[in-house]
Amino acid sequence: MDKAAKLSKRKSVSYAKWGYLFILPFFLVYFVFTLYPQLLTFYNSLFENYMDGLTHVGPNFVGLGNFVKLFSPDATGSITIIKYFGNTVVLWILGALPQFIFALILALFFTSTRLKIKGQGFFKAVIYMPNLIMAAAFAMLIFGLFGNTGPINKMLVAANMPTFDFLAEKISVRGLIALMNFLMWFGNTTILLMAGIQGIDECLFESARIDGASSTRVFFDVTLPLLKPILVYVAITSMIGGMQMYDVPQVLTNGYGMPDNTSSTMVMLLNKYLNPSRNYGMSGAISVILFAITGILSLIVLKATNKED
Amino acid sequence: MPGMKNIKGFFEKYYTVPEGVTVNWIIVPSDGGAYQAALDEALLNQANADADDKVDMFLAEADYILKYVNSEATQDITQIGVTDMSNTYKYTVEACTDTNGVVKGVSFQCCPSGLVYRRSVAKEVLGTDDPTEVQALLSDWTKFEEVAGQMKEAGYYMTPSFAETYRPFSNNVSSPWVVDGKLNFDAKITEWLDLTDRMNAAGETIPAGILDAEKNEASMLAEAKSFCLFGPAWYFNFCMGPAWEEGTGSLGDWALIEGPAAHFWGGTWLLAPEGTDNPTMLADIMNTFINDEEVCTNLVVQDAQFSNNKAVNAKCAADDELGANELLGGQNATAVFSAMADNIKFQNQTIYDQLLNEGLQAQFQQYLKGTVTRDEAMANFIKYVNETYPSIVTE
Repeated sequence: MDKAAKLSKRKSVSYAKWGYLFILPFFLVYFVFTLYPQLLTFYNSLFENYMDGLTHVGPNFVGLGNFVKLFSPDATGSITIIKYFGNTVVLWILGALPQFIFALILALFFTSTRLKIKGQGFFKAVIYMPNLIMAAAFAMLIFGLFGNTGPINKMLVAANMPTFDFLAEKISVRGLIALMNFLMWFGNTTILLMAGIQGIDECLFESARIDGASSTRVFFDVTLPLLKPILVYVAITSMIGGMQMYDVPQVLTNGYGMPDNTSSTMVMLLNKYLNPSRNYGMSGAISVILFAITGILSLIVLKATNKED
Repeated sequence: MPGMKNIKGFFEKYYTVPEGVTVNWIIVPSDGGAYQAALDEALLNQANADADDKVDMFLAEADYILKYVNSEATQDITQIGVTDMSNTYKYTVEACTDTNGVVKGVSFQCCPSGLVYRRSVAKEVLGTDDPTEVQALLSDWTKFEEVAGQMKEAGYYMTPSFAETYRPFSNNVSSPWVVDGKLNFDAKITEWLDLTDRMNAAGETIPAGILDAEKNEASMLAEAKSFCLFGPAWYFNFCMGPAWEEGTGSLGDWALIEGPAAHFWGGTWLLAPEGTDNPTMLADIMNTFINDEEVCTNLVVQDAQFSNNKAVNAKCAADDELGANELLGGQNATAVFSAMADNIKFQNQTIYDQLLNEGLQAQFQQYLKGTVTRDEAMANFIKYVNETYPSIVTE
């Protein structure tokens, strides 16, 4: 009797609890540093709460008042948050599209068993390098290079060409922001895509080639479909990063997003509300909107790419 | 903007720190309100901070000083031992006096601001570089615009930055930026917008910012094609760096006059925070920079400042050797500033001025560059105000 009870007890010993114990640190950190602030942001977005000089105004409950304010048109009839969302999307696509194409081509070159490129480690390190620079420092550099008295305009003068106010015109400001994001992130994307391609069974490429498939055919019918999970991952992370774009345009335009706020992003707006008035209500509302947009866009990407299966 | 970097240099040069005390400077750029934000945080945490981490002294400029003066974060300096303010200029005391009449700090400088012009250009276009004669030609804004036209014809810009003329107007407003909680455009601000608009359209100025390298290239270099700037004594050191360069600069080719409108620009005040654990040294520092004759004289003679000590300034104004300014070709700048300093009034200021001034200029600059219409620029400014200061009503 005694023995049997002992046996059954031993049988019920579960190793699962060790599993829970091991993942506990992650969840603790997640609850304290991610979930709690996130819920607090939702909560804050419902209050009027800011500093007027050194005087604290609020918190006063205003319901959805902050959201209503965000979606109210200004004197010119445009709705700031929608305009800035548009800017953010445009700036992201301008940088991300060439980045994907370029990274995909590079990844194909580096992983090709036919090309067998030497010194891969060196190239990988070099293309990743721009990502190591602080975005703000990179933006300062570009600001200096393309300023009205910067070397680029000096070169134009020396070549008897008309100078150009790069930091005042929409096309050049947006172009420079896209260029910086492209330069900073294509290395990262290349390495991710390379890992994806190397994860595909080499036999598949070989058999396709033996069957007489051209390189283009192999790419479109073998590589691309099998690379899809990684492509989706890259697209979603890039999009989340793009939605949160802040430091590059902020530093390049000194926070003004010129011209006419056409390079102002959502997070730049959030920052303007926070600084100097610490307007937790309005910036909380923007964060909630940003969260919703990111969530919806991620779902769309996921759905769209899984459909064809 | 002006005195922040300077004061550290002056402090280290002229103030002997008592043994055993280490001065820990925390320097934050002023642009975009970053300094105010950092300071607010430190002051709000003052009560909880360790003794060595408490703020013992901080600086504030005219554009936002009232925020700290009219708060409980600062204390009465007469209680800690700064009692003799008889030598200082009235407006420097008014600026740091709260609504109950309590004085919370002192300024180490006085900032009457004038018009600084290139002697060589004046001689070529106006036929004279004598300050009295040039002043007669520039004594009001109508004359100023006439001269601007002459300069343009001769191939010179009147000013190397559209914002150069901002302070003579903004400092002479008859109502503050915010009245009864509402944003208020004073007639002087509108006047400035119109003048700048005309000058920019006529090619008499360029849409470069006041601290831009572009402005420096257009005005400070030996062969630069600009006539005049506006600024107080700190401007010579702080904003005219390239002019001092030997060979490439324009050292000695400048002269100072009052210009079309008397005004002051900025100033840096030393304020006494509540909760400092070092009030004796704080009072000593303040007294040194307003009452120590030797230190104040050195500020004028060696550093081309205009001190906040009337006796010292009067001494230097009367002695052309003591007051001689190298940048101005030996002209006695102290004498010119002295004549203007007594009339300065500290009025129509709000706690919001820094970012409203910065924002208006930045949005209007986009119009001057031709990327938005004037109406759009103004609408963008209103939007900027709404985002920056939720408490200001804009209708």
